[in-house]
Amino acid sequence: MTDIIKPMFEVNNLKISFATNDGIVEAVKGVSFHINPGECVGIVGESGSGKSQTFMAAMGLLAKNGHADGSIIFQGHNLLELSVEQLNHVRGKNMSMIFQDPLTSLTPHMTILAQMREVIALHMDLNQADTDRVCREWIDRVRIAEGARRLNQYPHELSGGMRQRVMIAMSMLCSPSLLIADEPTTALDVTVQAEILDLMDELKRENGTAIALITHDMGVMARMCDRLHVMRYGEYVEEGTAEDVFYNPQHQYTKMLLDSMPRIDNPDRTSHHKLKPIDDSQTGDDFLVVDDLKVHFKIKVGGGIWPKTLPLKAVDGVSFKLREGETLGIVGESGCGKSTLARAVLQLIPPTDGVVTWIGKPLSGLKKEELKDKRKDLQIVFQDPLASLDPRMTIASSIMEPLLTFAAHMSKTDMKERVMKMMDRVGLNRNMINRYPHELSGGQNQRVGIARAMIMQPKLVICDEAVSALDVSVQAQIIELLIDLQAEFKLSILFISHDLAVVREISHRIMVLYLGRVVEMANSRDIYDNPIHPYTKQLISAVPVPDPKIERARKSIKIPGELPSPMDPNAQFKFLPSKRDQVAQGYQPKLIEHSPGHFVAEHDPLETLLA
Amino acid sequence: MFSFIIRRTFSSIPTILILILISFALMRLAPGSPFSSDRGLPPEVLANLEAKYGLNLPWFEQLYTYLKGIIFSFDFGPSFKYKDRSVNDILAQGFPVTLTYGLWSFFIAVAVGIPLGIAAAVRHNTKLDYLAVGFSIGAQVLPNFVMAPILVIIFTLWLNWLPGGGWNGGEWQYVIMPVIALSTSYMASIARITRSSMLEVLSANFIRTAKAKGLANSSIILNHALKPALLPVISYLGPAFVSMITGSVIIDIYFSTGGMGQFFVDAALNRDYSLLMGVTIVFGVMTILFNTIVDIAYAWLDPKIRL
Repeated sequence: MTDIIKPMFEVNNLKISFATNDGIVEAVKGVSFHINPGECVGIVGESGSGKSQTFMAAMGLLAKNGHADGSIIFQGHNLLELSVEQLNHVRGKNMSMIFQDPLTSLTPHMTILAQMREVIALHMDLNQADTDRVCREWIDRVRIAEGARRLNQYPHELSGGMRQRVMIAMSMLCSPSLLIADEPTTALDVTVQAEILDLMDELKRENGTAIALITHDMGVMARMCDRLHVMRYGEYVEEGTAEDVFYNPQHQYTKMLLDSMPRIDNPDRTSHHKLKPIDDSQTGDDFLVVDDLKVHFKIKVGGGIWPKTLPLKAVDGVSFKLREGETLGIVGESGCGKSTLARAVLQLIPPTDGVVTWIGKPLSGLKKEELKDKRKDLQIVFQDPLASLDPRMTIASSIMEPLLTFAAHMSKTDMKERVMKMMDRVGLNRNMINRYPHELSGGQNQRVGIARAMIMQPKLVICDEAVSALDVSVQAQIIELLIDLQAEFKLSILFISHDLAVVREISHRIMVLYLGRVVEMANSRDIYDNPIHPYTKQLISAVPVPDPKIERARKSIKIPGELPSPMDPNAQFKFLPSKRDQVAQGYQPKLIEHSPGHFVAEHDPLETLLA
Repeated sequence: MFSFIIRRTFSSIPTILILILISFALMRLAPGSPFSSDRGLPPEVLANLEAKYGLNLPWFEQLYTYLKGIIFSFDFGPSFKYKDRSVNDILAQGFPVTLTYGLWSFFIAVAVGIPLGIAAAVRHNTKLDYLAVGFSIGAQVLPNFVMAPILVIIFTLWLNWLPGGGWNGGEWQYVIMPVIALSTSYMASIARITRSSMLEVLSANFIRTAKAKGLANSSIILNHALKPALLPVISYLGPAFVSMITGSVIIDIYFSTGGMGQFFVDAALNRDYSLLMGVTIVFGVMTILFNTIVDIAYAWLDPKIRL
């Protein structure tokens, strides 16, 4: 390849090491790459691969115990040799960075405008009026509605997606030639992710801003990047144009990454374990029946001497049936009530209204002792594997704990044997028995969580975002484990996730939740191949596919407007504006059986909504 | 905020009533009376004395009279110990003393403690940090009943610069040593809390963002880090302020200042019911008042808190 254009950002043999209590740890082991003007270069890798550290070093943001060797040339300077004062003239001006977690990346006690003004005051010579004009222009440019009002608000008054857009606006104020985005959309919902990615792509095309995109998500890479580097253990194992890497991967690791990535457009990956189909003739209909379940929380609104409370309808009339050996996937964006629903089903939160029936008997309204007996068969696996285990208990005692509660008659040796067998079953090495959670990886801890949930051989397991915090390769293994366990123990699973591609792989049926109500429920094939509700369509179209050609040709569906507050009585009518005038009469969109087993909430046609 | 203050005022009324009831009950439950001393008064004299102060009445009548006095005329009643003096008189004499050295102590503790804590956090793991931590630990383990004699030995006996006690209407020579003795341990606590909360804030994500903007270190600390770092300090300062301005027994006794702390102990030992109640109520009202001020300060520091 002949480089006629001079690269604007060039990294040569960069090594980064950290001095820790266990000695020197090499995070980056001599990488070299360059970024040309107006180009998007991606660095993809799993957690701990060192992908962010390269750019942290460039921005002078390495942790205090970190040390960088080699050179990072930007605009004729070696950034590693600049003093903090010299670097302060570059960062935020010619080169800026946005971070993974938009919720904590803005200063909480300063208004958006104050935080933006600061950048201009530092790097540009503008008067007050021009400063405010530029800020306003960028807020509009990143498509934040009601910009004037938003500028005077504090970060906590904005949603996560809006805060990330503020971050982008703030980093674009001085028209930098390089924008570094470190997992910019990982913490965001898919529909918001789609919008942020579109925005970044637009900035690249219209302003000629080069983008360095760091992510673990091959789908995001496919949508955004011209060239990419695959990183593992501090080294680049593969690099090339997006087409090369996606269509003709050379390195084993790249192939593995691409293969582990669940694909929404293709659920039948070759290497994958298959879901066991449900035999309708054998299973009864009354395994788990949830009827019109409601969970309302009282929220204080406004001040005054006697503050009022309004109900927040986290779950508002959800009904479904689950058969033995079946997985029902529950998907929806953050705040749609999916976790609350799971907890209400297990009676971990008392439902406000509605009935949960478990093998013919009601679960709701039971006494504590009666409920405890049932818990043996009802288990839950949580999102954060490390935080859900007691840090002071060895993993074996965590796994054994349900036995002590429900099978106290067993001898200690028998219990231990059972724990060992369970550890084998979930793929944990027997010699880990005396380890503590912090000594294990996230994937291993989640296996402990699954072993703990499975040890009493429950009939129902709820997985609440059980794989969301894991790397794709580990995620794929955990999903296969769940599929296997289900086939072996005839387990029923409620699988809750915001990731539609993952849910597709593991679920027989799928329910889409929107602000506490079901908008669509059907077989997983039907819902992906033939989605009917506009919200389902929007969600599916927002999921990036790890295939550059498909991804770049695809248009995602954008229904105008922000996600409404669940306390807004109009919220459910976002997809049914034609009947909004009936809110006052307490009208709610009905769930209609479109074809056998395929339920869709009442809605206006997509075309009218987009208009 | 206005409605918050109103709500807080109303909700503090039952708190203060319960405080009065409990201290009233505790004192009546203990055996003996203010006038049962070693000498043993003749029963007739004792009965006369009790009748004079209304102690022969049933307890609910005593309580009723007492509450009525406080609510309608802000009158805490006569002292049982000091003849011809009312509790109001005694408080009016003692409170200005403790308020004077308390305010000075508070001001100095804050003015030194907070900057010291910030500097230690900013220069984390340097000599300055070790020095600040060393001072904090030293000053906190050194109790003021050790501190006070040391000060007297140095400044009064050796150097002969300052008077060893007394108050003299709050002349500055008399105020210095009580202030130093009282403020040092608070200063140390403030420095320690500021340091640890500042360290936590400095590792927050928004500080990383501020660095990425290219801001200078000083403006990162002043504009971005200071306000959130002060939150835990403020919640310590509320109760600390109350206990400083209501005085310290040790300071009052050691330096013979005649402040409120001394009365508190005297009243308890002498069973001077009305004085003890008076001091308790003043303490309780102060605590509620400054907790409210802390809450208002919180709302100013953190826009997420809406009053």
